[in-house]
Amino acid sequence: MNNAKRIKRYLEIIPGAISWGIIIVLITLSIINPVACAISIIVFDFYWIIRTIYLSTLLVLAHRKLFQEKNKDWLSECQKLDVKKDWRRLYHLIIFPVYKEGLGVLRPSLEALRNSRYPKEKMIVVVAFEERYAHAQANAITLETEFKAAFFGYLSTFHPDKVPGETRTKGANATWAAKRTREFLDRKAIAYEDVIISCFDADTCADREYFGCLTYHFLTQPKPHQASYQPMPVYNNNIWHAPSFARIVEISASFCQMIDSMRLEKFVTFSSHSMSFKTLVEIDYWPVDMVSDDSVIYWKAFLFYKGDYQVIPLYITVSMDVAYSSNLFKTIALQYRQKRRWAWGVENFPFLINGFLHNKDIPLLIKIRRSFQLLESHIMWAIWAVIVILIGPLPILLGGAFFNQMAIGYNLPRITGLLFNFTLATSLALIILSRTILPPRPKDVSWFKNIVMLVEWIIVPIIILILGSTPALDAQTRLMLAKYIEFNPTEKGIR
Amino acid sequence: MSGEQKIRAFLFYSGVFIFFIGLPFILSSALSYKFNPRIFRFAKAGLIALKTQPQGASIYLNGALLNEKTPTTINELLPGEYNLRLELENYYPWSAVVSVEAGNVRRMDKIILFPLLPDIKQLNKEKISSFWVDKDKDKVYYFNQEEGIFYKSDLEGENFELIGSFPPMRPLPIKWKISPDKEKLLFFNPYQIVVVNLRPSHKSYPTQSPLVLNFPDRKIIDIFWHSDSYHLILITDSNIEVQEAILQSVPVNLVDLNKKNVSAFYDENKDMLYFIDNQKAADGKFYDNLFKLELSTKFSLIKPKAFEP
Repeated sequence: MNNAKRIKRYLEIIPGAISWGIIIVLITLSIINPVACAISIIVFDFYWIIRTIYLSTLLVLAHRKLFQEKNKDWLSECQKLDVKKDWRRLYHLIIFPVYKEGLGVLRPSLEALRNSRYPKEKMIVVVAFEERYAHAQANAITLETEFKAAFFGYLSTFHPDKVPGETRTKGANATWAAKRTREFLDRKAIAYEDVIISCFDADTCADREYFGCLTYHFLTQPKPHQASYQPMPVYNNNIWHAPSFARIVEISASFCQMIDSMRLEKFVTFSSHSMSFKTLVEIDYWPVDMVSDDSVIYWKAFLFYKGDYQVIPLYITVSMDVAYSSNLFKTIALQYRQKRRWAWGVENFPFLINGFLHNKDIPLLIKIRRSFQLLESHIMWAIWAVIVILIGPLPILLGGAFFNQMAIGYNLPRITGLLFNFTLATSLALIILSRTILPPRPKDVSWFKNIVMLVEWIIVPIIILILGSTPALDAQTRLMLAKYIEFNPTEKGIR
Repeated sequence: MSGEQKIRAFLFYSGVFIFFIGLPFILSSALSYKFNPRIFRFAKAGLIALKTQPQGASIYLNGALLNEKTPTTINELLPGEYNLRLELENYYPWSAVVSVEAGNVRRMDKIILFPLLPDIKQLNKEKISSFWVDKDKDKVYYFNQEEGIFYKSDLEGENFELIGSFPPMRPLPIKWKISPDKEKLLFFNPYQIVVVNLRPSHKSYPTQSPLVLNFPDRKIIDIFWHSDSYHLILITDSNIEVQEAILQSVPVNLVDLNKKNVSAFYDENKDMLYFIDNQKAADGKFYDNLFKLELSTKFSLIKPKAFEP
């Protein structure tokens, strides 16, 4: 193992080691020094309450902004811009990396593009298939027949399997497609700086105003090529038909993204997003050997531009599918794997630190701050539910009669109970907000579902228990032990 | 900086401020620290956790009425002894001197306040001397042992009725015992056993007539029901014998006893009789030993071995 690989391995161990270290220390303390453990839990609980208030307020602010910009005629806004910022020169390149997603998933996504208010003669659509999928060619022909004529450009690409240096990841497919499109742009003599690329998950249905909104923000940025553009992901495609468990998890994921959109200094690209094609080429495309390509692309650009790169939140939605399966247990397993893949974003930590070690131009303070933010967010994800649900009661259970007759032993369950009640109270705010981002109820769904969608939030504690921390802890443990996960796209397509 | 970002910055720094200002208060409260004006410093206090049945009692601490009512926790009590009195209308007051230790909680969560006028109701309508409650059938059985009469009623004393009689016993019965199937009851005095059927339809007792067994030649010390509710294990002053609870049954002598007043215990679940008897050991002396006699359906008699010193 050479020096670089050794450093990378050490860095891979750090997040898991810290998370497990905190958990093990607290469990040990609950046995040998329950008072110290109880104090730690109370400090954490108090921190968590303040953090919950803070994040809930950010969610309300983001939600307000989303509704302020809803139904805005962005194309008109573009037309009002200075003539130097001519939106007509821009092309939108939209890539859909696809693996096994069928026509039932792809058609609505392409249909949404065709229904966009943005001029289709300025849109280039690329459906990036995996060559190893048996139905790829047939699906490509079917979709080309239906959609090719609607756009300025329409390409079907087929990413070959087992390209040296690649792993089976979405980033490898997207990169292959982007390189083929680059040849197309060269043939058409379209400048890369006039192309905005959007890399969408196969099930992403963009809002009709999305490309107008994206264009406006691109043109109004002081450094448009040094920014990624992040819409708000919602999971509205099949939300009325999804089971409660999956629906709540995905709504919560949307809320997390909305909250992050208010924290610009730590905002990172996630799932479907957009950026300058020129930048994409300069930073050598998406990584071809990492699972979390959606966030790594941001860090690649951040390192390339020496820290002068940001993510601009777009308060407009792109709608995707709620991942669910034929029964509850399969749905839980599906959601677990999806969340673990998201949590695999912890692989960004060694990538970033390694990048920082080789980049002398980024100020040390920025390096420390961004490293800490990344590490802290992943560690908090891995430990918060474990502390609140599992470690919280341990001093009482393991502390013995002596601890239980102490004042802190008496007060601990009351304080943790307060935290639990407070979390439930914030769930009420989430219920109200969740109603406002729902699409209209389909005709085949009973009115009674409205009631179900209010009552279903009582299962939040169960969801926290199953999906609160375990996927993140699982991901960090695998990274720590070098048991790397492969990219397995979440099975979608149930609508 | 946009308006949202200004609000966010305000929220963030407010949160940090609240955390660092609030944390000492929360921790001191959790650890039960209180400012003691007498020594002008923080001192570790204790607390009393109060729960009463019923709830809502007024609390007097050292004679002063507190605002809270039970259940509640009295916090920040400096170490020492406190006169605690709980009052609730129509209930007897409860009071105690409670010692509070620094950093500890005194849990008083099993306080029952008893009503001033207890809810007492007489159930029997006739003269009785003992009773048995069958919870499974919601029945109360009453016995007048002197006159040999028994009655039954429901648990409220309603439907009180005479259900049978048995010959008056002289001397009066010393004990009575319910069979494991709860369908028969026996009374006994040292020389006589009366078995009464509580269920007239019972196959062993087609009539209401009680079974009377006489023992003129030996004195009954104790009797146990076998788990089959059919056999009786008799401890007499001379032996241990088994007898079927029917007329003209022939007893089986299981063990001859040396002691006159044997104490015995019968495990109804395992049909195991434990008894003490005085047996001769190898050294020729007599010692009190505990023996175990299995009386399950195998009915095998295990010969007791004498204790060897």
